[in-house]
Amino acid sequence: MFANVLSALSIGFLKTLEIFGLTLVGAIPLGLLICLGAMTRIRVVKYVIRFLVWVIRGTPLMLQLLVIYYGPGLIIGDNWWGSGEHGRFIATIVAFIINYACYFSEIFRGGIQSIPVGQQEAGFVLGLTKAQIFFRITLLQVVKRIVPPMSNEIITLVKDTSLSRIIALQELIWAGQSFMKSAGIIWPLFFTGIYYLAFSGILTVVFNRIEKKLEFFRV
Amino acid sequence: MKSKKLLSVIVGIMCMVLLAGAVSVYAGEAASDLAAIQDKGVLVVGITDFAPMDYKDENGNWIGFDAELAEAFAEIIGVDVEFQEIDWDNKILELNAGSVDCIWNGMTLTEEVAEAMECTGTYALNAQVVVMKADKLADYADAESMADLSFAVEAGSAGEAVAQEAGFEINSVQNQAAALMEVAAGTSDACVIDKTMADAMTGEGTSYADLGYAVSLSSEEYVVGFRKGSDAAAALDEKIQEWIKDGTMAEISAKYDNAVSIAEARDAAEEAE
Amino acid sequence: MSLLEVNNLKKSFGKNTVLKGVSFSLDKGQTLSVIGPSGGGKTTILRCLNFLEIPDEGTVKVGDEIIFDAAQTARLSDREIRKNRLHFGLVFQDFNLFPQYTALGNIMLAPKLQAASSPEMSREKNIPPERIEEYCLEILDRVGLADKKDHYPHQLSGGQKQRVAIARAMAMNPEILFFDEPTSALDPELTGEVLKVIRRLSEEKMTMIIVTHEMGFAKNVSDQIIFMDNGLIAEQGTPEEVFNHPKNPRTLEFLRGYTGLE
Repeated sequence: MFANVLSALSIGFLKTLEIFGLTLVGAIPLGLLICLGAMTRIRVVKYVIRFLVWVIRGTPLMLQLLVIYYGPGLIIGDNWWGSGEHGRFIATIVAFIINYACYFSEIFRGGIQSIPVGQQEAGFVLGLTKAQIFFRITLLQVVKRIVPPMSNEIITLVKDTSLSRIIALQELIWAGQSFMKSAGIIWPLFFTGIYYLAFSGILTVVFNRIEKKLEFFRV
Repeated sequence: MKSKKLLSVIVGIMCMVLLAGAVSVYAGEAASDLAAIQDKGVLVVGITDFAPMDYKDENGNWIGFDAELAEAFAEIIGVDVEFQEIDWDNKILELNAGSVDCIWNGMTLTEEVAEAMECTGTYALNAQVVVMKADKLADYADAESMADLSFAVEAGSAGEAVAQEAGFEINSVQNQAAALMEVAAGTSDACVIDKTMADAMTGEGTSYADLGYAVSLSSEEYVVGFRKGSDAAAALDEKIQEWIKDGTMAEISAKYDNAVSIAEARDAAEEAE
Repeated sequence: MSLLEVNNLKKSFGKNTVLKGVSFSLDKGQTLSVIGPSGGGKTTILRCLNFLEIPDEGTVKVGDEIIFDAAQTARLSDREIRKNRLHFGLVFQDFNLFPQYTALGNIMLAPKLQAASSPEMSREKNIPPERIEEYCLEILDRVGLADKKDHYPHQLSGGQKQRVAIARAMAMNPEILFFDEPTSALDPELTGEVLKVIRRLSEEKMTMIIVTHEMGFAKNVSDQIIFMDNGLIAEQGTPEEVFNHPKNPRTLEFLRGYTGLE
């Protein structure tokens, strides 16, 4: 029985990991793009982007999952995502990437804006190009500033992956619950906590390492 | 700044109106759903893991009373069958969004279901039963004696409706399994769930070995639901009547310890109506 | 002939006109101090000369080359601006050291990048890339901090940070070095070491413009003093003329605020 549960939970956990990994891969670059959009001098772009960020950050991710997965079928009568697990997975990834990109973009924006303008000016008067200033001077300082908020957000993402069960994606919590529903066995659901704890524990260690690595200077 | 906020509120409202409009337009559409299903070549059946109606065997294949019937029906209309686990709360959403074609999972015919779906006739019978700690069953022989107990029920379920009607103090939880867990954990004194479920999930060999039931609050009917306006419901209903009459249903039920009580066939007079 | 000629420089921020037509010139090897009340436009002059702000009007000439003419700003590319900036070095009030580089790293960053990406722009053509570190270390030694070369900025005192910043500006070998209130962010007991470095540069005939509130220092070290008030040069002359015989009543009033001046 234990082996059965373990293998079922591990399959669910794999799904959780996939959501986690793909969300990061998509949301970090998209977040950077949104961040640039929110800081651009082109007013129309800026306000549209800020409106989008406001909407996404102002509504629950659970609701966004529902709208993104069921919305196309309900509104235009065409279920974009296709039937089956695959469609649900794609919709989940899309929802998570959009949601997390918006949160990340605000962290990036805060990080970039927190670097004193004097750093850039010091680069200018030494005859450096904008690209040299960004990559050689600003970037590492921004990274140092955003590591703590990013690690918070990323550890939250580990747990947020469980929201995808609302559109019946069979991730870790779903796998645990299925034993409760079918076999009347409760403990697997609670056992999923071990997976979350272990994973966020590893992430905590990784982020602590990164913070340590960046401790050689202060901003 | 103020005018911008106002603008965003207006835009938000417009979006909602648009959405509502689109949904109502879509609901009004009435092409042949059966033909559409045959066109895409697969019947997507929305289910939950619910023994003995739909559940997985040790190889991970979907089996059960409903699962076998669904396979039979798919074969008749010449398509493959695909079982899709869904969140029971979202069954109407799933149907309307087209992510599943029917709900075939020991679904009780409620007013809400009748209103939102195109349903077949009754194919099996069910009851809502009160599950509690087995050692207390003797103290509560009828519904009247249970007035001081706290009840867990599945939100939006038939069990919730009858418990409310009986005037019980209820606490709505996410699903029937969670309701059972409430009772096992002692956070509720009793729960109201499907008899079919109670038969499968309580007693020896489950986490709920010390739970049991004695009182039924209502009897009810299982139906299969399609999208509103779907012609597939009538097509299936015809087959169901056939299966009841020729004993196919009873045969399948026998494979599952006769846990399913088959409905009686409608008589000819009723058919004519 | 003057090394630097600034003619009729004007700059506004929105409705606020900060420079209302400033002209002056500076000979090679001279030290010019700019004094005056806050908000008088002193810092803006330095920022305009370094293209951190683009002036609305006026011209700037270095040697025979007109490096800026407001009538033709549109023609300046990023590259030209960068090239023009290299005529000058700027030392900021709050140092602006790069926190993730050591003292030596701060000094070497720009020379190394310059040598790698645009060697033709470098004013240090004769220094081969492999000698840059040695060269920068010499400069660090000149400000007395060779032993701190591996220290990060947060491990240095304010005075030491400012000395590293001066060395960083010197490493680009500018024709003119600007100081924007170099001791204003320092505790009083730390200003001495920074002023000492600047004084030595002055003695070595580095061409410099110093915006400062250190009146005694300005008086001692400068060849020329400019008193800026309300966006205009209110008084200009030798330290003797400006400090001891001011012609403008505004100058007198301003100088009275600084007691302890002999």
